[in-house]
Amino acid sequence: MPLKIETRLGRIRIERRIGYSKLYSISMTLFSLALAFLVISMILASLGLDTIQAFLVIFGIFVKPSLLLESVKQSIPICLAALGLSIAFKMNFWNIGAEGQIYMGMIASTGIVLLHEYYGLFHAWAVMPLMLLASFLLGGAWCLIAGALKARLGVNEILPTLMLNYVAILVVEFLVHGPWRDPKGYGFPLSTPFPKYAKLNLVLGEPAYTGLLLSTLGAAAVFFLLEYTRPGFEIKVVGQNPSVARYAGIKVRRTILLGSFLSGGLAGIGGLSIVSGIIGRLRPGASPGYGYTAIIVAALAGLNPWLVMAASIFFGGLLTAGGVLQMSMGIPKAAVQMIQAVIFLMILVGEFVKRYRIVFEKPRASAS
Amino acid sequence: MIEWIESVLALTLQVGTVYLLASLGEIYAERSGILNLGLEGIMIMGAASSFIFTLAYGHLAAITVSIIVGVLMSLILALMAVYMRLNQTVAGLALTMLGLGLSGFLASPEVRKVILLALNPSLPEKFLAIQEAPKLPEIPVPTLSEIPVIGCFFRQNALVYFSYAAAPLMWFILFKTRPGLSLRSVGENPAAADAMGVSVFKVRCVATMVSGGFAGLAGAYLFLGFQPFWQEGLTAGKGFIALSLVILSTWNPLRALLGAYLFGGVEVIQYRLQLFGLGALSPYLLAMLPYLVAIAALVAVSIGSVRKRIGAPASLGIPYSREE
Repeated sequence: MPLKIETRLGRIRIERRIGYSKLYSISMTLFSLALAFLVISMILASLGLDTIQAFLVIFGIFVKPSLLLESVKQSIPICLAALGLSIAFKMNFWNIGAEGQIYMGMIASTGIVLLHEYYGLFHAWAVMPLMLLASFLLGGAWCLIAGALKARLGVNEILPTLMLNYVAILVVEFLVHGPWRDPKGYGFPLSTPFPKYAKLNLVLGEPAYTGLLLSTLGAAAVFFLLEYTRPGFEIKVVGQNPSVARYAGIKVRRTILLGSFLSGGLAGIGGLSIVSGIIGRLRPGASPGYGYTAIIVAALAGLNPWLVMAASIFFGGLLTAGGVLQMSMGIPKAAVQMIQAVIFLMILVGEFVKRYRIVFEKPRASAS
Repeated sequence: MIEWIESVLALTLQVGTVYLLASLGEIYAERSGILNLGLEGIMIMGAASSFIFTLAYGHLAAITVSIIVGVLMSLILALMAVYMRLNQTVAGLALTMLGLGLSGFLASPEVRKVILLALNPSLPEKFLAIQEAPKLPEIPVPTLSEIPVIGCFFRQNALVYFSYAAAPLMWFILFKTRPGLSLRSVGENPAAADAMGVSVFKVRCVATMVSGGFAGLAGAYLFLGFQPFWQEGLTAGKGFIALSLVILSTWNPLRALLGAYLFGGVEVIQYRLQLFGLGALSPYLLAMLPYLVAIAALVAVSIGSVRKRIGAPASLGIPYSREE
């Protein structure tokens, strides 16, 4: 008989759950969100901040129409980037570089606008479609660097994608401090403001609605790709088991290249939604970490495209709340980043509780 | 000329020490099979806590607290990656985000004031709002520090001297002692190590804590010993560069010593080129250099023939469970 160490308190055993219902899964996710807010309230309360007031501000965001609209606007880049990440993560490709890909998307969109503004290269009506195309291509190419390194040389993608974030941010700094600085901008590191036709105002002249259309289309495209197409199926198989994929005749390398390109491309369009939907020009620090928030959103939504949309509106609201908290309560803006991280940690803990259960075994009655 | 070389060398040492301290601990974690991607977040928490505690109680307390904070943060990772068997990449990333968010929050002027007053109510008013702290003093070694050129090795602060001793010591423990052998075996083949009576969970937990302690110390050094001026996101990816350094050093503390100074040198060259006017056009392009070199290093060690010789810990990133 194998030796078992039993303590007086009994033994704790961790067992894998064999299958669980969808309802259980959803309720565990909600439970982990509740747990996150409990932890956050403990942090805020321990510093003597008014926790209840802070939570009223955060959840009040979703009640007031103007703030809700702002949240939706903030959610667009998060949503598009998280949709891209869903593809990459399904492929088991750990793209941590959405932030950099977003910045590359911003650069591409701004580049098109400047080509039009400074050189008049194309008609005004062609600007928006070209911006979409360019941001998709450049964002995709930025992720493809890591994808190609993985496919060709077997370099793990985590660190290259991360490093390229810092590089992309520096490229933006270089551009707005140098060649792309607005000549009429009093020397500030900003690009020329975007003209009307380069802004996201197709639906009712409102960036939030137009962005919502964009992210709905994105979600539908990702859903269709993953559920109904051959490349999508191959992406999933490569993610689950690369050697099975190889035996099944799937070209693993080509799939990695495609998946990483699509993933970065969607984040690139997210970048477009920032410069032409939220800010209206290129400036350093244009993204307050949308690309990192997107990772949390993808994890919270379990890589489901439709849930990604819902989760990103929640996080868009959180970002909006950050500004309100700072103005009305003097809580520093970094609080939002902290809240996001705590939510992320609790989602992971929830993931554990979903997959395993902890069994407390009573010590057996001893013979003495 | 000699003065110029000396100043470049001294700066290289100072920057390199950040990378060295961070990667020494990480080598232990990865050798045991745990990828601590939270390095960046732990480092910045170390920097933030050393900032606050230096103002309140002075250097020694600050360094001690930042090590403790690092160990506590790494315990979160140990709990999630070792015991809950969650994906280490995601767990480490969450830890990095926690560190970045929490440090920005705690060290922001508003919150910092509350903490400082709670720690030390008699603190003079002027310390409550400043963004900088006193730097760690340099302790020149008598006679050795007067040697030309290499004298700068002996005109550093206490943490740099500690890193000189730590690298060979960590190498010795890892490769020449029984606990080191257990640690490596857990990272290579946890099932076999378990069968030999090594507690896989305990070893991985301790190794993760070592990496957390060193990362906290690296953060404290970065702030107190190199750049004692607080700003959000102070580490600027140095933790991730240290992670690539670990791979470049092939999980060997002595090679990490060389690699750290190499990366330190790259960063210093970037500063120097800016001074020379070469970078007058775009300091931003030069600032990319460390990240690009890190990527190049990752590519270099991944090229087939090199890869066969170095051998990453076979179970790196794979959670262990007795049942599966």
